[in-house]
Amino acid sequence: MSFPNPATSVKLVLLGEAAVGKSSLVLRFVSNDFQENKEPTIGAAFLTQKCTIGERTIKYEIWDTAGQERFALLAPMYYRNAQAALVVYDITKPASFIKARHWVKELHEQASKDITIALVGNKFDLVEDDEEDSLRKVSVEEGQNLAEEEGLLFFETSAKTSYNVNEVFIGIGSKIPDSSANQPEAIRENNQGRIDLTSNNASGGSSGSGDCAC
Amino acid sequence: MPPYNNTRTERRKSMAERRPSVSYTPPVIPHLAGLEKPQDHSLKIDQCDVLIMGTGLVESILAAALSWQGLSVLHIDTKSYYGDSSSTLTIEQLKKWCMEVNLGRIPHFQDAQIYIPGGKTTNKFNSKDYGIDLSPKLMFCRSDLLTLLISSRVYKYLEFQSISNFHVFENDDFNKRVTSSTTKEDIFTDKSLSLLTKRYLMKFLKFILQDNSDPDKKKVISDNATTPIKQFLTTRFNLEPPQVNELVYSLGLCIKEDTKTPEALAKIKRFLGSFDVYGNFPVMVSKYGGPGEISQGFCRSAAVAGTTYKLNTTLTDYDPELKTAKFDDGSRVKINEKIIISPTQVPKFLQSGYSEITDNLPVYNITRLITVVRRDCKEWMSDQESSAVVVFPPHSLPTDNIHTVQVIIQNGGSGVCPEGQSIWFSHSTEPDLNRAKTDLEAAYEKMESALLRESSSSDLDDVLDDTDFVVNARGNPVVANSFKLGESLQNFVPKETLDVVCKLGYVQKTYIKPDLSNVFHPDETNQNVVLKNLADAANDIVFSNMPSSEISYDGIISEAKLIYQRITGTDDDFFDVDFEDEDGEEDQSYATVQAHKPSTGAIVVNDDHDMSLDNENAIDDDSDDGHKPFGADEMEL
Repeated sequence: MSFPNPATSVKLVLLGEAAVGKSSLVLRFVSNDFQENKEPTIGAAFLTQKCTIGERTIKYEIWDTAGQERFALLAPMYYRNAQAALVVYDITKPASFIKARHWVKELHEQASKDITIALVGNKFDLVEDDEEDSLRKVSVEEGQNLAEEEGLLFFETSAKTSYNVNEVFIGIGSKIPDSSANQPEAIRENNQGRIDLTSNNASGGSSGSGDCAC
Repeated sequence: MPPYNNTRTERRKSMAERRPSVSYTPPVIPHLAGLEKPQDHSLKIDQCDVLIMGTGLVESILAAALSWQGLSVLHIDTKSYYGDSSSTLTIEQLKKWCMEVNLGRIPHFQDAQIYIPGGKTTNKFNSKDYGIDLSPKLMFCRSDLLTLLISSRVYKYLEFQSISNFHVFENDDFNKRVTSSTTKEDIFTDKSLSLLTKRYLMKFLKFILQDNSDPDKKKVISDNATTPIKQFLTTRFNLEPPQVNELVYSLGLCIKEDTKTPEALAKIKRFLGSFDVYGNFPVMVSKYGGPGEISQGFCRSAAVAGTTYKLNTTLTDYDPELKTAKFDDGSRVKINEKIIISPTQVPKFLQSGYSEITDNLPVYNITRLITVVRRDCKEWMSDQESSAVVVFPPHSLPTDNIHTVQVIIQNGGSGVCPEGQSIWFSHSTEPDLNRAKTDLEAAYEKMESALLRESSSSDLDDVLDDTDFVVNARGNPVVANSFKLGESLQNFVPKETLDVVCKLGYVQKTYIKPDLSNVFHPDETNQNVVLKNLADAANDIVFSNMPSSEISYDGIISEAKLIYQRITGTDDDFFDVDFEDEDGEEDQSYATVQAHKPSTGAIVVNDDHDMSLDNENAIDDDSDDGHKPFGADEMEL
């Protein structure tokens, strides 16, 4: 077997308060699909999606929290070897932004040091036609400041209109070191194991059968 | 309600008067009360079908099995970590755990000791770099748990690594009987063996690989139902002690000399049947931790299927009439079916009931000694591997041990400790706890001196030159001129001692028999806690078991099924879920590459790998659904 362009496998974890649109964001990315009233959790072990950036192909393995973060800590397994994280908040809900701060802190404690984190303010569609009575409760600057302080990538997105969604994943992908280049041994090893272990389906759905939303 | 609700109301008011974002100056982001404890919310569900207390391995498999079957499950744990008695912990967590054990807060564990030499000044380590299993286990390549891991897709969260080196300590020395270059047949055709011994071994191999339904084999096994395996091998197959030890303790991983023939034969066959499934090795371990890691995998699978998780929570009351459970966070949940409770998490109000149920059950002790050393112990491992097994058969130690001491060794390559270090997980099932401890210490000393002896042999280059070595008939260099050292290498005692990061000892108790008979065939004489009823709780409460002393994962699935059956009435639909993999075309080409061993030593568990036993490589002969845990059928013969 030979692949013209072997994909770099990247484990990406999702964090953020309930109902900020974590799952919708990922669904939009993996299947270009947006469900208005979707169920809170994606019913799959993790979703996969390939993303081509220049010469490189990155295969994202996207781990949703599966609701485990609501009343419990996420298991160490969740953070282990994660190379990228999306910390998502809702730009119309200040509390979700405060919570995002908590997740960034949690990532610094639990995840590997060289993890690439993107701070994502979602639901941009709600503030697009912005009038005086704006629904926006978290300003662009607030997000930018937090991102700068903590060294994060920053995006405002809309999973509904797909505004900026692909840019998030391309942005993260460009910051991930090439596995064949100067990547630490441990991560490279892990990638090799992972590539063969997981199903390789661009349209998502790896484990959940009926519940899989794709 | 979430603690940040007030904040939200306040900010929303002030924001309403402001202009859109551009001119908005952000306030200082307020500190969020309870940020460090995101799990502090009270439960927002008012009913569930099954409540499970304890996130141990069996309970986690159960949670996943039930929720994939459509039941609503609430899975809680009194601790802040996943895994319960099969958890994988950091050194800091272990320190706290030892304290709690000694305060009697973790029932069924006792005598916990942790020793960290030198304190923080001379013994620098980062606690989080360690993942120490409370109940470490080995995964046979052909086993029911592995089959389930694959069919449930939980293996996708895990990485497996092979173990091909099994050492038996014999005549004060380690014999590397099984290595990565060993094939199944090689075990029986060691060139150093006499022709006659070889012939006897081949005769035994033929016998053990024969179909169990073969009438002659059946008769031999039933005739020897109570014969100790040692006697059976010696009298029926004329085998010598070294071969008997190898078969019974290294391959069979039996724990006692008087292990009955049917059980020992099933265990030897388990080893042989696991060869050549993924390569020339019978056993694997999961990276970053064993049962603790696999528990987390099943918990995640359960969560994906809809199970609600809440840690740091305990049941404070249960009303069997209203079927209402009350928790320490104040929430109340109606339980439609049953409550499953791990033996370490029995709430206060149920303790006397639990005692009544368990008072007359025989208790079995497992004494563990876990040592983290600053050595990678590569000497004992096969190239590319990060783990090995060392076995001390009965009577092999200066303490004249009656029970086997089994040791799993894992170094940094397996993700449980930093590079250059290793963890020695040793345990004994000796009922006399003092004896067990001295056996474990003696085994530790033997391993320590063997390791120092082996690794210091390079220093001997200064003393010995090439002419002092000759090559023996088997192609190994031997020291011909050992008088230069004053003593033989065997007695060369280095002054050096091993640099220890941490040493941990404890005793755990279980009601599961070491031969697992009360898991496979629970009845009046083989009683199992799972089948007992708490009379005053309308039979709504089921207690699970502490982990068994078994070094493999055998019995785990049977236990989970036993509880599953108590809840649903049958285990026919246990994990009867079609987890489809919508593999793209690329995957088809992956799938054609059968499981192989990449250079990293990681094992690729391929979905399409033929786990059924009509695989031509398979030597086992039952042709139904995968591996039966040892003893499942054989013991009935």
